[in-house]
Amino acid sequence: MKSKKYWIPILLVIFGLFMVACGSGNKEAATVAIKAAEDSWNVVKGDVLKYIPDQAKGVEDAIKGAKENFDKGNFDAALSAAKPIPDKVKELTTAVAAKKAELAKSWEEMSGGLPKMLDAIKSRLDILSASKKLPENLDKAKLDGAKDGYEAAAKMWDDAKAAFSGGNVADAVTKAKTVKERAVEVMTTLGMQVPAAAAPAPKG
Amino acid sequence: MADEEKKQGAGADAWDATQWHVVEKGETLSKISKKYYGDPNLYMKIFEANKEILKNPDLIKIGQKLRIP
Repeated sequence: MKSKKYWIPILLVIFGLFMVACGSGNKEAATVAIKAAEDSWNVVKGDVLKYIPDQAKGVEDAIKGAKENFDKGNFDAALSAAKPIPDKVKELTTAVAAKKAELAKSWEEMSGGLPKMLDAIKSRLDILSASKKLPENLDKAKLDGAKDGYEAAAKMWDDAKAAFSGGNVADAVTKAKTVKERAVEVMTTLGMQVPAAAAPAPKG
Repeated sequence: MADEEKKQGAGADAWDATQWHVVEKGETLSKISKKYYGDPNLYMKIFEANKEILKNPDLIKIGQKLRIP
């Protein structure tokens, strides 16, 4: 009986030390995992925010959650939250690359096509401006509107080219799409044939 | 007018913005000019744009595909 009583506090001390050791191990693992998550995220964060900003929040929320759990001493939860983040970041890296390729393709197409549309519009506007009468379905107000539309599109196209030269492909493509829409409007107003590549998709 | 121009064939380049008109029976460059520009006197603009196929502004043929600048 005596010897049993002697062992109880020893076992309690051993159990306590074991728990402390486990807690310390989880804390260290959580620290490493959070750092790995932040490091991987910081490498691609700029591109993700630039090209697929809607997908950034998930990672940022996960890192924030891991840190909050860590600060509360919930190291297991912090570890669980932080561990999958580098894999998610890898997925986003792939998604960024795909988005970049998509934008580059769009830019290549539009930068080849839009100047043709703008040139065709300018040619027609120059001739119509010299015309003593206007064709059917076109009056002076519509012609003036078309001129304004052309000027705005041409200016926007210069802005798009500047954005592309500055390395902002996403902005360049957004502006180019606006140019395309305006050019289509002007061509339609002037009764011109819209190139197939720029024609709006059929509704429905 | 838009429908007229939509008659033109689709080229290999989907971004090609060239405007075309296929000459129909009874048409002259002046008539075509009036159709697209409202002013028949601007027919020389069309002639100049099609010099590689037109030698004389008074001689155009049915079925000829003309650029309309």
